[in-house]
Amino acid sequence: MAYWEIQNVALRGVTGTVPNHPVKSADFDFFTKEDAELFDNTVGIKNRYLAPEDVCASDLCFDAAERLIAGLGWENESIDVLVFASVTGDYKTPPTSGILQDRLGLPSSTFVVDLPMGCCGTLYAITVAGNLLSSGTAKRALLLIGDTASRMGSLKDKSRVPLFGDAGMAMALEYDIASEKIAIEMNTLGSGYKALMTPHGGYRHPITKEDSFEYEDFGNGIIRAPKDALINGMDVFSFAITKPPVSIKKMLEEQGLDKDKDVDYFLIHQANKLIVDRIVKKLKLPLEKVPYDLQEFGNLGGASIPMLMTYNLAEELQTRPLTLVCSAFGLGLTWGTMVLRTQMVKALPINIM
Amino acid sequence: MNNLEKLNRIFCEVFSVEESALNGEFNNCNVEGWDSVHQLSLTTSVEDAFDIMLDAEDILEFTSYENAKKVLAKYEVTL
Repeated sequence: MAYWEIQNVALRGVTGTVPNHPVKSADFDFFTKEDAELFDNTVGIKNRYLAPEDVCASDLCFDAAERLIAGLGWENESIDVLVFASVTGDYKTPPTSGILQDRLGLPSSTFVVDLPMGCCGTLYAITVAGNLLSSGTAKRALLLIGDTASRMGSLKDKSRVPLFGDAGMAMALEYDIASEKIAIEMNTLGSGYKALMTPHGGYRHPITKEDSFEYEDFGNGIIRAPKDALINGMDVFSFAITKPPVSIKKMLEEQGLDKDKDVDYFLIHQANKLIVDRIVKKLKLPLEKVPYDLQEFGNLGGASIPMLMTYNLAEELQTRPLTLVCSAFGLGLTWGTMVLRTQMVKALPINIM
Repeated sequence: MNNLEKLNRIFCEVFSVEESALNGEFNNCNVEGWDSVHQLSLTTSVEDAFDIMLDAEDILEFTSYENAKKVLAKYEVTL
């Protein structure tokens, strides 16, 4: 069973950066006015920030990281671990975490790792970094979670383009024997990998000029080539409304948490309104405990959960202890739930760069 | 308004069609624009109108006007 109770690790800070290019649904040329209205009302994503071609996820994360390190007053030399959770790294090789170690001026003794785990990125980053810090030999970790998912697919794919926004988040974890445990459970359904994938570009199907750029019209405004990321909307929807609620319910039971009394907020991956609404409805979660930010940022992949913290909960994170139940699901297919209890977290405002 | 009228109105609103268009051929292959957003908009409206919660597999089955009637029958919605 993939379940951890991570001791002695506290969340110290969180912030994020988005590119200065807001795009409304009606701005997409493949939507009619009526299409855009239906999309806004049904999918709930009315705005998203899209990175230009010369901005990578690492650039957004770098900005967030620099601000967070300064805000916390951490010495760069004191950081032992750097995790970069992203599916849009700078290069195929080397890992982007190493490049960020250099850009941020972190010591050569830093442990770095890339985690290309998509929408569960934050849960994976906390699982890995939390377990690395738990024994106390390493004290501080910087978690950089971000993507420029808008650049992964075909610009003519109406089923994918309007869903995603770009962002880079930074979270800081620190060894602290006074902290409360972080409980995480993760799951995998590898048989469903084709629901969210980029068919060409890996070593199974390397990019070739003969077939990787062959655009095909799949109907309903979906035009893409094998080099482009694809999303099978109905399969993903079916997965997302079935698996995560079971995981959340199980975690609440295992932790002895009453959803109405013991939990301050449920931070649910902001895939789209239809999915989040349905999880809420299925578990009968109190609506006031489920913040949304997808209307402003779209689906941010792994960055969803820290963006909810930064955009929706910044003031409360800094002023009172919170019990957060976080649910993520996506690429893989993977899904999981985390119970995170926070104490006076530094939550810096979002930067639009 | 009876249940069939409610269902027809939902289809007409989601797909911007006249009621006369709703027949055995009204499905995701024949109707232009029937994508996942329209299908999920359809099932959400149906759930709200009939106060039911569809299982994931039934949402996937909502691929035609006739299938919609069959799925609703499973939830004891009399049309």
